[in-house]
Amino acid sequence: MTYWRDEFQRVESPILRYGLAIVSVATAVAIGFALQAYQFRDVEAPVLALAIGLVTWYAGTGPAVLAVLLSTTAFAYLFTEPLYSFYVSARDLPYFVVFVFSAVVVASFSAVRRRIEENLRLARDHLRAELEERRQREGEIRKLNQELTLRAAELAAANKELESFAYSVSHDLRAPLRHLVGYSELLQKHAPNSLDDKSQRYIQTILESGKRMGNLIDDLLAFSRIGRTESRTIAVDLQQLVKEVVAEIGAQTTGQDISWNVGALPVCYGDRSLLKLVVVNLVSNAVKFSGKRRLAKIEIGSVDADGDKLEVFVRDNGVGFDMQYVNKLFGVFQRLHRTDEFEGTGIGLATVQRIVHRHGGTVRAEGTVDQGATFYFSLPKAKHSVKGTASAP
Amino acid sequence: MSELGRILVVEDDPRDVELTLTALDEYKLANEVFVTRDGKEALDYLYCREQFASRLDESPAVILLDLKLPKVNGLEVLQQIRSDERLKMIPVVVLTSSHEEKDMLASYQLGVNAYVVKPVDFHEFVNAVKELGMFWAIINQPPPGSAKKVP
Repeated sequence: MTYWRDEFQRVESPILRYGLAIVSVATAVAIGFALQAYQFRDVEAPVLALAIGLVTWYAGTGPAVLAVLLSTTAFAYLFTEPLYSFYVSARDLPYFVVFVFSAVVVASFSAVRRRIEENLRLARDHLRAELEERRQREGEIRKLNQELTLRAAELAAANKELESFAYSVSHDLRAPLRHLVGYSELLQKHAPNSLDDKSQRYIQTILESGKRMGNLIDDLLAFSRIGRTESRTIAVDLQQLVKEVVAEIGAQTTGQDISWNVGALPVCYGDRSLLKLVVVNLVSNAVKFSGKRRLAKIEIGSVDADGDKLEVFVRDNGVGFDMQYVNKLFGVFQRLHRTDEFEGTGIGLATVQRIVHRHGGTVRAEGTVDQGATFYFSLPKAKHSVKGTASAP
Repeated sequence: MSELGRILVVEDDPRDVELTLTALDEYKLANEVFVTRDGKEALDYLYCREQFASRLDESPAVILLDLKLPKVNGLEVLQQIRSDERLKMIPVVVLTSSHEEKDMLASYQLGVNAYVVKPVDFHEFVNAVKELGMFWAIINQPPPGSAKKVP
């Protein structure tokens, strides 16, 4: 490697380069004279040609031209008859021409070779730079990979921690609550006569709060479980699913007139039990918040959103909400109504959002106070929806 | 308390024990209960060793087993029972606070007869325990070799 670098090293300074030309020609002339002194005849021309080649090799084209001019002049002046004059006799003219010609040929060959080697050097430098760049990029990729592995390990650890947290909540937080509720009830049963109305009411409040706390814990645990359980993705017929949910919820709502309007729904791709939870939450919300209407109208349908997503909506004519608070709707334990107006823990829509996000979709809501609300969720379209429906009986 | 409990309750929390006994008392089953307070004690009872060395060697009609126990936990007790030729027929009901799928899965894989999550609501809790007691101690025919109901 060093050998090649040294070999191709060009002399950079112009003074040195032209100096080399002059010194080389002078040395060649001196050698020519020395050889003449030892009775060697007609060797000046090859020596000068050699000097020209050397200059071309090491100093480039400009100095080479100078060397050719100088050596031609020196040759004409010093080595051709008549000596010490620039006159070239007719007898020596062919010899002189041959010398000039060979000098030019040596110079140009040398220059061509020089250029080829220059190109080779450039190509080699280019390759080396590319190699360096690739090595750098590989290093970067390796670093990123390492970071990714680290991040994945961190994430797994965090997940595990979360899981053990949920586990201890499930085990340890519910027990004292059960005792709170249990003993309050025992007290109520044990001393019904020794307690006045006020005390009875206090105990009742303790009981209700305890039960409510139990429900909150259960909901929160169910919510955290959504993120931790493995989902099984299959083609889900939303039409069928909504039909089931409407039948189930319709059977539970007695004493409320509901007009159901279920439009055409497509087949989508997802975890059926999770998607059912989404529909159950949205539909039971619609039922709950239109409970004060004489005739509740609940509409379920789909709009074909652009791209490969489909959008399903659940619309009701219930109490609706102020669009000002739309961002709070999907938060955990966020409620827009007082507990004594509409019961609930405030986790239903958070669950909906979590499930839909897990499926790669989005949720949104529109509403007007006292005019009803519409909840939308989008899901990726089933890739083989045609096949899916065709194979259904 | 008689050492001839037909229902073996394995429960470390004294309040849960009291609530369980209160519930069982509604069917006059409280006298048939023997309570052990951790997994090791439960196994000692079943194997008639240490403080139970003089106990009449009869298996309980059912074991109500909590999962989170000091020393030896419920799943380990269950595993020990199911891997022992002499004990493996005893019906075991897991009665726990845990809703967790992995606990349920592990219990059923070890061959539990029933898995009951203790309800927070007292009425539901009492009903659950009452029905468990009635079913396993009265309705169900225990495997031969279990303690007979005192007439």
